Amino acid sequence: MPTLRTVRGAIALATLPLTALALTACSGTAHGGSADQSAAYRLTASTAAAKGDIDGFTWSLFAEPTSIDYAYSFDYPPNTVLANVCESLLRWNPDLTTSPGLASAYTNPTPTTWVYTIRSGVHFHDGKQLTADDVVASLRRNLDPNVGSDWAYPFRNVKSVDRTGPMQVTVTLKTPDSTFNKYLAASPGTVESAATLKADGKDYGNPAKGVNCTGPFSFSSWKPGQSIVLKRFNGYWDRALRAKAGQVKFVFLADATARVNAFQTGEVDGGWMVPPTSYAQLAASAKGRLYYGQNTTVADEVVNNLKGPLGNAQVRKALLMAIDRKGIIKAGVAGVGDAADNLVTRNNWNGSPRGTVDSTLKALPKYPYDPARAKQLAAGADVTGQRVVIATSPLDSQTTIITQAIAQAATAIGLKPQIDTVSPDKYTALFTDPAARKGIDLFLTFWYTSITDPLDMYGSLRTGAYSNYGNWSDPQFDAAVDQAVGAADPAARTAAAAKAQQIAMDQLPWLPLYTEPVSVFLGNRITGVKPSIDYLYYPWAAEIGAKEAAG
Amino acid sequence: MSVAVAVLRKLAGMAVTLLVTSFLVFSSLYLAPGDPVSFLVRGRSPSPAEMAAIRRQFGFDQPFLERYWHWLDAVLHGDFGHSYLFHESVGAVIWSRLPASLLLVAVATLMIAVVGIGAGALGALRRGTRTDKGVLLLVTVGAAVPSFAAAIVLRSVFGVRLGWFPTIGNGNGPLDQLHHVVLPAVALSVTFMSLVTRVTRTAMLDQLGSEHVEVALSRGTPHRTVLRHHVLRNALGPIVTVCGLLVSGMLVSTAIVETAFGMSGIGSLLVQCVDELDFQVVQALVLLVVAVFVVVNTLVDLVYPLIDPRVAAQGGAR
Repeated sequence: MPTLRTVRGAIALATLPLTALALTACSGTAHGGSADQSAAYRLTASTAAAKGDIDGFTWSLFAEPTSIDYAYSFDYPPNTVLANVCESLLRWNPDLTTSPGLASAYTNPTPTTWVYTIRSGVHFHDGKQLTADDVVASLRRNLDPNVGSDWAYPFRNVKSVDRTGPMQVTVTLKTPDSTFNKYLAASPGTVESAATLKADGKDYGNPAKGVNCTGPFSFSSWKPGQSIVLKRFNGYWDRALRAKAGQVKFVFLADATARVNAFQTGEVDGGWMVPPTSYAQLAASAKGRLYYGQNTTVADEVVNNLKGPLGNAQVRKALLMAIDRKGIIKAGVAGVGDAADNLVTRNNWNGSPRGTVDSTLKALPKYPYDPARAKQLAAGADVTGQRVVIATSPLDSQTTIITQAIAQAATAIGLKPQIDTVSPDKYTALFTDPAARKGIDLFLTFWYTSITDPLDMYGSLRTGAYSNYGNWSDPQFDAAVDQAVGAADPAARTAAAAKAQQIAMDQLPWLPLYTEPVSVFLGNRITGVKPSIDYLYYPWAAEIGAKEAAG
Repeated sequence: MSVAVAVLRKLAGMAVTLLVTSFLVFSSLYLAPGDPVSFLVRGRSPSPAEMAAIRRQFGFDQPFLERYWHWLDAVLHGDFGHSYLFHESVGAVIWSRLPASLLLVAVATLMIAVVGIGAGALGALRRGTRTDKGVLLLVTVGAAVPSFAAAIVLRSVFGVRLGWFPTIGNGNGPLDQLHHVVLPAVALSVTFMSLVTRVTRTAMLDQLGSEHVEVALSRGTPHRTVLRHHVLRNALGPIVTVCGLLVSGMLVSTAIVETAFGMSGIGSLLVQCVDELDFQVVQALVLLVVAVFVVVNTLVDLVYPLIDPRVAAQGGAR
């Protein structure tokens, strides 16, 4: 499902020449992350708690949101802002678990029914009280073709959304879907005032109208092209997440160097997604600190053409084994990443029993870097001398480095790589337009999941799925995915998902390259954030406050 | 021919140019690769009925000429359509970004005019001296510095290291905005300054070496008067023409500088909207830039006779 945002992720990361320097490990609580103690980075679960309130802080975004309507919030910039203003029925926490949000409770009485109890005593920013009508109006927008929500996919199995009590909403599904409920912790589950939606119509979420939700911050102003300002909402229902900052000002800085400079001069207090080329510089900065957190992103090479030499699974395996993935991580992201042995991160399996996950992951086929064996493997497939076209774009340094490494690997197994460099907008079109993908064998994507569930990824590889770019098809895989999506029992779901994963990693419709942590820079004035990919849906800014106690 | 007729003819020519441009702009965007509908639906696979609804909503189902006519009709009524990217009227989208670009271009133009003409004149009057050589050297270096390189250097030296100027944003209030726009304006104008210096120097040297100047000087007309009435006045023609071209050209070249300094203007807006195939905004922006280009050059043409009476004597309209 994720398409544009994955390219945006790539664009967001660095445009400067490469400085592949070893990083000094940044301090903080080591948390999960790499098992390798010598890794170039450590994950931080939480930065030091804020010592007090602060008037406000300034935060950088790599692009201006085009709207902050949750129905069109499918990319880093709008979600980074909206996560603090609007809330969903469920909440995606920094440890990537899900807990109640605007729904204080939910039940699943039948496989196709989800019943949500709406939290009482919650107020919108305009003072009105939250009711079931608001929830119904908000969720239904994802079903309305006239709205054209970017989140129609999670709602594909929804038959109806109805008010079944003053504070109760029931969602009826066409078929059982275990992922549906999880998506309600992300943008698809956002609740907006029904009155505001009606009053603002097509202007809802634009710079003039903004939004009216229930989060710890309220929308204050939006100067197009310059900044979005949020103000603390004093009537916020959740005491634990009351905003410590009086206001947050988001500034849009497309240029990676401009962002890093703004950190260095103190003009900006922080930002997510620091360009990897500046990791070393910022880790050594006296102006603040760089942290890494849990992520669900995997860099993958998408196999787009299964009619060419890569149609043979042997060749795909050989290609993956010939790619120097450790080299890519060292040169492309300053060592801050790990070779991926899977199309999803380990984090996606949080919630499944640890032992089961361990054995599942252990059973997966491994593709260690071994050019000699890769060459042997490819020799059996009789594809020597055949051409493979690798699409790339001058998005950032790691994209260029990865493309070179893939070309090198293709050469190593006897193929003839041809690098096809296209403009960034044409590259974006690869994810949406089949015509743009014609004649291309391989292209790169940075793929993250919006829920803690491997099915967000594997559902995208089903036969006929929108993001199954190469039209890969395996009946057993489809059956396993369907079974997992429809399974009510967690153990059965995990088992079926694990089976799908096993098939995918055996067949390699995509080639997993590496995983990388979320990065965040915090200036010296502020602290309190919990670095994690959940910042796209969790009110992270509410926890940011003063580093030093006042007075 | 009276002046009024000449002006009217100019204005008519301007209107025709804009009309032709509008058609070219409109059609070229539809020839551009990529289907706007596929962008509108992002990562979704809508049903054929939904696709048809989207096509209808944005008017993609109408024949080309009809689409053009509707668009032109709306544009003439001041309605440039709705940006699907920003969910706002195109007018509002552009209007919110225009002031920053205009200020940037205005300050850059001022710098170009003052520094460019000043340095050019200085070089010409001190021909062959060390000063002249210095000017020529700076011109050569300046012409070779692309604005993105200038931006990087200016930002890191005067922004990050010395801290004299802000490195990002547009600023609030007149003084603060001016403070914010200085570095970007310098970055934007470096190349153009060199160009104007060179043109000024050459034009003035031409005049200084011409017969009428020599005659005037030999008659004992004061040096200063000769410079003002003969040299500078006659040299001003080519200088104004070049400046006119530069000003209109600058509106589009602001993209790089705006991005480098985290400013919001129409240059970066244009790039973004081209990338995202936001046709309505791109059409309006291109039309705007062409309009500025045509208007500025018409103005230059109209001002020309005032500078150079010989042109007026020949009949005004060239």
